[in-house]
Amino acid sequence: MERRFMVDRKVIRTTCKSCHGGCGVLATVEDGVIVHIQGNPDSLTRGTMCSKGLSSIQHIDNPYRIHYPMKRIGEKGEGRWGRISWDEALDTIAGRMKAAIEQHGPSTIAISQGTGRGYNRYTHRLARSIGTGNIITPGYVCHSPRLGLYGLVTGYGRLYCDYHGWGGEFPKTQIMWAKQLEISSADSEMAVWFINSLEYCKNLIIIDPRASAYASRATLWIQPRPGTDCALALGMMNVIIEEELWDREFVGDWTFGFDELRERVRDFTPQKVSDLCWIPREHVIDAARMFAVDTPGCIQVGSSLERQANCGHTLRAITCLLGLTGNVERPGSMVSWVLPETGLIEDFFLELPLTEEMRSRIIGIEKYKMGAARTCNPDTMVKAINSGNAPIEVWFSVGGQQLVHMANTKEVFEAIKKVEFLVHVDLFMGPMAEAADIVLPAAHWLELDDVYDMHPRFMIEAHNKVVDPPGEAKSDAWIFNEVGRRVAPQHWFESVEDMLDYQVRKGSDGTMTWKQFSERLVSGCWGEDQVYYKYKTDYWKEGGGFPTPTGKFEFASKHLESLGYDPLPVFREPGESPNSTPELFKEYPLVLSSGFRQPFYFLGQYRNIPWLRSYMEYPMVQIHPETAAEYGVEDGDIIWIESPRGRIRQKLRAFPGIKKGVVMATANCFYPEEPARTFHGLFISNPNVLTSNNHLDPMYGSPDLTCLLCRVYRASDQDLKENVFHTEQFGTVPTVEQMAPAERMTRQAQ
Amino acid sequence: MRWGMVINLAKCMRCHACVAACRVEHFLPLHVTWAKLIAHEVDEGGVVDVSTYPVRCNHCADPPCVHACPTEASYRREDGIVMIDSDKCIGCRYCVIACPYQNRTFLSKDKDPGYFPGYAKTGFERKGRKLYPHQVGTTEKCNFCVERIDAGMAKGRRPGIDRDATPACVNTCQARALTFGDLDDPESEVSKLIRKYNGFQLRAEYGTDPSVYYIDYRIGGAPSNKAPEHARTGYNMKHASTVDRDAARRLGRSTVKGEAKQ
Ligand code: SF4
Ligand code: SF4
Ligand code: SF4
Repeated sequence: MERRFMVDRKVIRTTCKSCHGGCGVLATVEDGVIVHIQGNPDSLTRGTMCSKGLSSIQHIDNPYRIHYPMKRIGEKGEGRWGRISWDEALDTIAGRMKAAIEQHGPSTIAISQGTGRGYNRYTHRLARSIGTGNIITPGYVCHSPRLGLYGLVTGYGRLYCDYHGWGGEFPKTQIMWAKQLEISSADSEMAVWFINSLEYCKNLIIIDPRASAYASRATLWIQPRPGTDCALALGMMNVIIEEELWDREFVGDWTFGFDELRERVRDFTPQKVSDLCWIPREHVIDAARMFAVDTPGCIQVGSSLERQANCGHTLRAITCLLGLTGNVERPGSMVSWVLPETGLIEDFFLELPLTEEMRSRIIGIEKYKMGAARTCNPDTMVKAINSGNAPIEVWFSVGGQQLVHMANTKEVFEAIKKVEFLVHVDLFMGPMAEAADIVLPAAHWLELDDVYDMHPRFMIEAHNKVVDPPGEAKSDAWIFNEVGRRVAPQHWFESVEDMLDYQVRKGSDGTMTWKQFSERLVSGCWGEDQVYYKYKTDYWKEGGGFPTPTGKFEFASKHLESLGYDPLPVFREPGESPNSTPELFKEYPLVLSSGFRQPFYFLGQYRNIPWLRSYMEYPMVQIHPETAAEYGVEDGDIIWIESPRGRIRQKLRAFPGIKKGVVMATANCFYPEEPARTFHGLFISNPNVLTSNNHLDPMYGSPDLTCLLCRVYRASDQDLKENVFHTEQFGTVPTVEQMAPAERMTRQAQ
Repeated sequence: MRWGMVINLAKCMRCHACVAACRVEHFLPLHVTWAKLIAHEVDEGGVVDVSTYPVRCNHCADPPCVHACPTEASYRREDGIVMIDSDKCIGCRYCVIACPYQNRTFLSKDKDPGYFPGYAKTGFERKGRKLYPHQVGTTEKCNFCVERIDAGMAKGRRPGIDRDATPACVNTCQARALTFGDLDDPESEVSKLIRKYNGFQLRAEYGTDPSVYYIDYRIGGAPSNKAPEHARTGYNMKHASTVDRDAARRLGRSTVKGEAKQ
C-alpha cells in the first residue's frame, strides 16, 4: 500500500501468548500504533499465527480494558469501584498478607492462577517466598496428571510427541486421544509441527467422540463413550499381549512389572471394551495392532482425559501402552527434551524449597497425594470454606476464572464470596474480578517484556514490548515483584529487569543479560542437538536407566504403591454414568461432555474480542441429529441442559459427527458483556453449573468435568431463540450512558 | 500469468486464522469478512464427512460480476485478479447478485459501526482509515492481497514463494492448507497440487472458471516416515541451538555455544 506521509515505522519481533503461546510474531508499529501483525518466518512456527494471536490487535485501545488499580466500594457483584493508586493497592495487599501470616500463618494465603501463561514460575515463587503451598491452579484438570504420571517413568515428567523429525524419523502411527492438537486453543504453536508430521504418517488414529476434519479422514476414528478411555487403553494392551506384539527388547531390558500388567489387562478383552466404551470391538484390535506394529508412534493426550475422576489411572494406562510398544525416547515417539543452555525455567521457583511445614498445610494433601503435592486441591478448599472452616484469609488471584472452570459453580460461587480478602489481576472485568476486593490492571503480551517458556521446554523466547499498556496497567512480572518485595523482600528483585536478567543468566556461558536475550529472541535446543534414548546414557542415572525406584520403566509403580495407590492402572466408571448410576441414567439419559475447544477462544477468554466473538456468538452444544430428534430438539434451538445440580442454556447444533447419545457442550463460557450483578452471565451457559465436585480422582483430585449425565429439552418459549440471553433476569449489554461512573472510567478509551 | 490458490480440505482445520489475517491485512470494518469458512458436515450411510471449505473471491476467468457491472468499476487484471475500483463503484450491487458464490459484500453503514460501537475508535482503526479507506456505499471483496503481490513483485519477490509477495491468509495458515501461485505455470506448486490430487473448482458447472481450486485426500498412508535433512537440522532457524551444560555433561557431549549463525 502507498505511503502517504512520512511516518515512524518499525517492526518489533516478539512472542505471542494468546494461548499458552510460543509463535514468533512481527508487529509493525507506526507512530506508536500497531498497524500490522503477522508471524515471524524465522521461528519454529515458521511465520504462521492463529486467529487469537492475530486478533490481539483488538486488545489494544480496547475500551473494556482495566486501566487503573481499583477497590470495591459496593457489595460484591454490585460493580461499583473506586480508583486507587498502585501504592495504596500494593500496600493494602502486603498489609493483609502480613497480618494473615502473623495471625493465622502463611498457609492461609492462597495464590491462584489461570492456565499456564508464562507466569507459573512467578505464582509459585511468590507462594513459596511467603511460605504457603496453597497455590490454586487448573493444573489438576489440565496437564499436571500427565506430567506427574510421565514423571513416574522419566523422572522429569515431560514426555512430548516427537513431531519434529530431529532424530531422523517422524511418528509412523499417531494417536490423537481426546485432543485436536491442530486447533487446540491451548497449544496452537504446536499445530504447525503436528500437521507437518502428518505428511510422514502411516496411521492416524483419532480417539474422540466428536469428529473433526482430521477424524473423518483418519486411518481409524474411534468414538468412545466419554469417561471410558482407561478401558480402551487396557483393551489395546490386552490385544498387544495376547497377540504377542509388544516390543521385546524394550520390555525385556528396560521395564519393570510386565507380568503384573499382563495379569491386569487379561480381562479387558476387545468384547468387554466394546461393551464398556460403546465402540466396535474391531476398533480396539485395529488400533492396538497399528500402534504396536507400525512403530515409532506417539500419543497426544488431551486435557479432557484429565477432567475426569479416573484421570490418574487413565494416564497411567496410556503411559504403560507407550512402554509396551517401546515408544519412549525413540525418534518419532515420546521424548523428554534436553534443555537449552538457559536451563529449566522452573528453577526460578524450584530454587525456593517447599518446606515440610508448607507441604503439611496444603489443602487436600492427605487425600490427593499426587495432585496436592505442590498445589492445593481447589475442590477440597471450596468444601472447607463452605463448611464454615475458613482456611483462606487472603486470596491473590492472577488471571484465571476459578468461578468458571471449577466443578459445581454454585458451591464455588458461595465459597469465593466468603473469602475475607481477594485480589484479582486481569486485563478485563470478569467473574473473579467482580468477587474481588481489589482489582489490578494487567498488561497484554504486546505491552510487556518477559521471558516466555515454551510448553515442551526445549526453548524459551522473549516477549518484547511493542506498545505501552493503557492507563496504569503493568506486566505480571512487575506486579509479582512488587508484591513479593513488600512481603518477602529477600527473595525478590530491585527491578523487573534484574529479575529477567536472573532468569536468563545461564545463557551465553553464564554471561547473558535480558537485553541480549531480548535481542536474540530465543534460547532453544533443537535439531541434531536433541538426544534420544537417554536411558541408555548417564542422563537420568549413572550407568543408564530410568530415574525410578527400580531404574526401569515401571509398568507397576513402586512410588504409587508407596503412596497407597494401586501400582497398576485400574478402570473406574465416572461418578455418574450409565453403568455406575443406572437409576440416575433413567432420569438423565444422555452422556454429557464439555471437552471440545474452539480455536478462537482460549478457555474463558476472548468472548469480548469482537473479531473472535464473531466466530461463535453463543455457546454451542452439539448433539447427533438422531438423538436430537429423539428428544424433540432441533438445530438452532436454544435448549436447556440439565443435571442434578442445575440447568444451563446453549444453542443447539445438530451435528452428525458426534456420538449418538452424547451431548457435547461448550465449556468455560461466561458473557463478559453481561453486567456485574450477574457475575458476567456466570450461570447462563457454563457447563460447570452441572458438574459435581463430590467424586474426585483419588490421585489428582480431578472432578468429572467431561463425563456426566444430563437431559435436554427445548427452552419453553420458542420466541426467545437468541434473545433468551438478554432477558431482564440476566441483564442486557449496557451502553456507556447506563454504566455507573466508576465502571465507565475503566471502560472509556483513553 | 494467472494467479490462483489451491485449498487443501484434508488440512483445513476450521481455525479461522485466514479470516483473521485478512481482517488485519485490510483493516476490515467490524462486520465485513472477505475470507469465509463454510462448514460441511454430513453422515452418508454411516460415513461421516466433516470438512471446512475456506472461501474467498474465486477471481474467476469469466467473472459474471464484471459482466454485470455497469460502470466498469469491476474489472479483471491481466494477471487474473478481479478488482473493484471503489472510486468508480456506484453501489448498485448488481455484482453482489451476479456472483454465484456470494463472495461480494456491500459495505453499508451498519457494517461499519467501529470495533467497539459507542466508544472511541482504536488506534489501529484510526490508522486503518488513512492507510486503507473503506468507502461506505461501495462493494468489496477479497483482492488476492494485490497490494502484497504488487509491492512484493516490485522488489523482485515471487508470489506464493516469498512471504512478502504472498497473500496474508496463505502466510498465516498453520495447517499450510493454502497454496498460492501461477496457474499458467505447469511447474508452479499450485499446478502440481491440482495435477497430483485432482483439484476441482467449486461449482464448476456455473462456468465462471474460478482461480481457486480445492484438493482433498485421506490422511495417513505415507510410504516413509524418514525425516528430510531440513527437518533434522531444525528447519533452518537462523539462531543456533544450544544445550544445557549440565545435560551435555551427563550425555557425554561438549556444550554447543549459542551464537547467531546469520
Ligand atoms: S487458516 Fe488454514 S486451517 Fe485455518 S481456517 Fe484458514 S485455511 Fe483452514
Ligand atoms: S467469485 Fe464472485 S466476485 Fe469473485 S470473480 Fe467470481 S463472480 Fe466475481
Ligand atoms: S487473499 Fe488476501 S484478500 Fe483474499 S482472503 Fe486471503 S488475505 Fe483476504
